[in-house]
Amino acid sequence: MSAALEAPLVIVVGAGGVGKTTLAASLALDSARRGHDTLAMTFDPSRRLKDSLGVDPDAVTEASVPFNGPGRLAASLLDARQTFDRLVARYAPDEAARQRILTNRFYDHLSGTLAGMLEYMAVERLWEVQSEGTWSRVVLDTPPTRQAIDFLQAPERIVGFLDSGALRIALKPWFDPDGHLRATAKLGFVGRNVEAFFDRMVGLELLRDMAEFFQAFAPLFEGFRTRALEVQRLLRSDRCRFVLVSGPGPERVADTLFFARRLQEAGMRLGPVVVNRVHPEATHDADEQLAGHRLLAWLGRRDRRGVEELRSLLGGSHPLVDLPLLPDEPTDLASLTALGEAFTSRLVD
Amino acid sequence: MRASSLLDQLAERQLLIVTGKGGVGKSTVCAALGRRLARHGRRTLLMEVDPRENLHRLLDVPPSGGEIVPVSNRLALQHLDARSVLDDLVREKLKVRVLADRVLASPVHRHFTEGAPGLKETGVFGRALRLLDGHVPRRAEVPQVVVLDAPATGHGVSWMAAPRLVSDVISSGPIGHMAAEIASFLEDPQRSAVVVVTQAEEMPVQETLELVEEMQRRLDRRPELVVVNGLYPELPADFEPAPDDLLGLLWAQRRTINAREIGRLAESWTGPTVHLPLVAVDGGSALTTAMERELAVQIEAVR
Repeated sequence: MSAALEAPLVIVVGAGGVGKTTLAASLALDSARRGHDTLAMTFDPSRRLKDSLGVDPDAVTEASVPFNGPGRLAASLLDARQTFDRLVARYAPDEAARQRILTNRFYDHLSGTLAGMLEYMAVERLWEVQSEGTWSRVVLDTPPTRQAIDFLQAPERIVGFLDSGALRIALKPWFDPDGHLRATAKLGFVGRNVEAFFDRMVGLELLRDMAEFFQAFAPLFEGFRTRALEVQRLLRSDRCRFVLVSGPGPERVADTLFFARRLQEAGMRLGPVVVNRVHPEATHDADEQLAGHRLLAWLGRRDRRGVEELRSLLGGSHPLVDLPLLPDEPTDLASLTALGEAFTSRLVD
Repeated sequence: MRASSLLDQLAERQLLIVTGKGGVGKSTVCAALGRRLARHGRRTLLMEVDPRENLHRLLDVPPSGGEIVPVSNRLALQHLDARSVLDDLVREKLKVRVLADRVLASPVHRHFTEGAPGLKETGVFGRALRLLDGHVPRRAEVPQVVVLDAPATGHGVSWMAAPRLVSDVISSGPIGHMAAEIASFLEDPQRSAVVVVTQAEEMPVQETLELVEEMQRRLDRRPELVVVNGLYPELPADFEPAPDDLLGLLWAQRRTINAREIGRLAESWTGPTVHLPLVAVDGGSALTTAMERELAVQIEAVR
């Protein structure tokens, strides 16, 4: 694997439907073939990565991929809820507190997405894996671009949330032991009205669940905050490289550049940009008699134009890898290996 | 009496939700469908919620920036930011300006609306319903049909199921009532329709089949139409490309996959389906025109 991908953490990002998951699998396989103990992680609920690696789709923990190579290869499915439950178990001061959180109705319905906690849980798991040190390389697949931006900013959002006044307000003893809303006179006229507004809009029942949730969760927050800051540093460190995958064609260029800039502005290290599934160019045009030939020749020219446009806008020195559209999507180890090799050889060129 | 075509049936619905994975050409199908409905005589509003505006480029109009932009006769376009839809809702419910500003500035509000699942989706559907009810800005036409370009999510059904989730969690208050009302609208096939866009490849077909199953399970309904987009041309009989005919070989292989996946889809999905070809047009309104022509022929033929 080229120097551009020698990082211990490789995060594959890009829009939906561009073949990110397959590419992540082939990069992981390539890494293991080169002797690195490698873990491929995905939290795509369709479990495509597991399918392509031929592991049991019902396995919830790391499953080792049957493969003879110098390095070991395993695949895992990230489950945000499971990671969250594990986190609660780790930080809760006692069993009673743990139970109080896990059985709270608010936790059940809302906690998963509150302030990006769902995405945060995935990054948290990444941090856990890399600090355990079992794997010399981790390749992480991510949800489509826009969610990926949420995903990468999850640690910031958690810290922002914990530092904001939201938590202070949420932790106020809003309810007396009988479950009635306490007078909030101290907040003054405006404060009372704001609270009354939430009360009227969403109903007392939900507010009560929320308050209970935050109170039960309070002892966990400091641990959370510390960890979120560490995760944030990890994503910006030299240990981490982002591989940005794009589809072919000029209409994709703007989106790809946008995401590349967002990553760099956030202080993350952009590795190779991959244009995937590029239609090959016609070697001669004698064959353009049939509809299919004419269309494919046009697609070949279109995709070439897209690659060149992206290359010039990215700046000539940035590594850009174009991978050809294959006859069939790689799903077995042999075709994944071929894709990984194509990537590596194009990167070195 | 002549049985009504699929186009007639879709045109009777007030809300068409167009869903599908990213990269399958969902926005193009949306634009083509919107144009077709407008030509069919319905005042149509195309509504887009993806943070990055896209539809205007397929219709050659300036970006909406949140406004209702007229596109052509009976067709308009609006881009909505889900966040600001919710903020507007707060302003509307809290009539005192200083209180509304205070709520909007409050981190509690920000984190609550950001985090509570389904709230943003519910807000967007709520806005669509209000427009259909005639609450439009001055000089804008009241739409008869809203075509929603739903964001590409892992599982498209989560968008449609959001209002029911919200009404389950928030059982009282104006938001709870609004969510319940929207949920029953979305569960009524007389008023809303779901169009799923896919491609004849393994993963998109797999996800389409999962979506259909999930819709049945969670919403007790099926899509009104599945659009299979981006098909390679059919192969001539006895087509055998020469070993050095790389384009011919790739064409044959891709088309074979298309045929296999169309077959697999048809085994489980027997509802209305249209097949759209991959066309040699770069994008913009020329692409929309080409797709509209293809779509029109087929949805007017399906009974």
